[in-house]
Amino acid sequence: MEAYNRPGAREAIFAQLVDAGRTEQVTARLTDAIILGVLAPDERLPSESDLARRFGVALITVREGLSVLRDAGLVETRRGRGGGSFVMKADAPHSTLVQARLHGLAQVDLSDMAVYFATVVEGCAQRAALRASEPDSDRLDLWLRGADFASVAGARTNAGGFYLELAVLSQSARLVRELIRLQAEFGPLLLLGMTDARTRRSLLESNHAIADAVRTNDDAAARQFATEQVRILAEWLLNAKARIERGGAWDA
Amino acid sequence: MPEMPEISQLPDVAITNCAAAVGAFFAGAFTELDGWRQALSNGDTEVRPAELDARVEALVRPALNDASPLFVGAGFIAAPGYVRGRDIHFAWWLGPQAGNSLLGSSSTATRLDLATRAYTDYVRDFRTLEWYQVPQSTNQTHVTGPYVDHLCTCEYIFTLTMPVRIGTDTPMLGVVGADVSVRRLESMVLPLFLAADQPLALVNAVDRVVISTEPTVQVGQLTAHSGNFMACSGLPFRVLVSPDSLPRF
Repeated sequence: MEAYNRPGAREAIFAQLVDAGRTEQVTARLTDAIILGVLAPDERLPSESDLARRFGVALITVREGLSVLRDAGLVETRRGRGGGSFVMKADAPHSTLVQARLHGLAQVDLSDMAVYFATVVEGCAQRAALRASEPDSDRLDLWLRGADFASVAGARTNAGGFYLELAVLSQSARLVRELIRLQAEFGPLLLLGMTDARTRRSLLESNHAIADAVRTNDDAAARQFATEQVRILAEWLLNAKARIERGGAWDA
Repeated sequence: MPEMPEISQLPDVAITNCAAAVGAFFAGAFTELDGWRQALSNGDTEVRPAELDARVEALVRPALNDASPLFVGAGFIAAPGYVRGRDIHFAWWLGPQAGNSLLGSSSTATRLDLATRAYTDYVRDFRTLEWYQVPQSTNQTHVTGPYVDHLCTCEYIFTLTMPVRIGTDTPMLGVVGADVSVRRLESMVLPLFLAADQPLALVNAVDRVVISTEPTVQVGQLTAHSGNFMACSGLPFRVLVSPDSLPRF
């Protein structure tokens, strides 16, 4: 289904989990998505049974995970018609939690994740440029023109959405699945830089450059712009980590 | 400009067989859709959501739960105004899934849940999407794809759609549709492609490769073919004879 606003990037939050420590994984996946802004305040999460099916875990595991999130003040459960688990409004952005999350991750792992993420995105961009038809390029341009990169929330959603557009244009089901999985694992962190207006502008410029390269079937250029884009995001993230470790704030 | 002849030499029987097999594959699928179309165009111009869902489910569930299902997903997408109180209504079911990376596993057909906000964003503009817009404007069946379905199955698929109307001059009530995997088509017709003396490739309307017996011309890529071909009657597909890869591949 050719789109406009492909949902997969965000839906990846709920993609299947691996075996070990499943409650912790449920908690980590949803916590990242909430504190890093991929799930918005007041947004309703899928139902418990739907989450269980999509994560591939038992219902009790989802309930345990949600209970941890409730205790942390990240979600609330509303009863009755139209009820369910909702993302809590934060008074301040979840700065303390972001700080703790970044502190808890080793620099070496952040760098490694960025390398892997870049490799997949580069491959998507290159293949998209090789394989996009003219109508595909038209749709990509239309998508990009309609996508909000000015607001923080819009940029977070649409940055991931653009990667998914490229993956779909690669015509590779495996690349799409792997990108969705990677975005679930690493997307919210990597896109932390979207809080910064200058980074949002540079990302949008880069996306236009990639879309132009896709239109002209210039696979080398598409790849190069993707490399640079992920490098900028990774550098922003590593800078934020360094600021925290020096005792400052991640978004200073 | 004169039309290019469909094939400049006497058509090779093997190639004719390939085009015919592709045609028969899709004709079989559309026959099933046509049964659903007839069942759903029963005279009402407005319907309650629950009633429509029950009717669609009763039609598609047996097909999806088949031991060797032709379809990986199927259902009905309503036109605005048809379902009481709804601008957008998807009655869509997915076949049994083994380890679907987005939606988990299930041993039976499950309803596609569009409740989360991301899907809502996606379907808001469904009227502009090819699988809806083309049958609406042409009043004909349509095959979209192949494409990677990131929404449901994460598979390389075609989406088949057919308009549902009560009479000829009435507004469309919606489209019945079904998703078919490229893998399934391949399993049905590849032996025939391999039986030809020359390498062949099946391509869609933008010359994207669906099936190929020429290893330099791979599934998913575009071709730049100027040689002989045979069209698959009534479908946006052609069988290319000795297909050329684009120079850049």
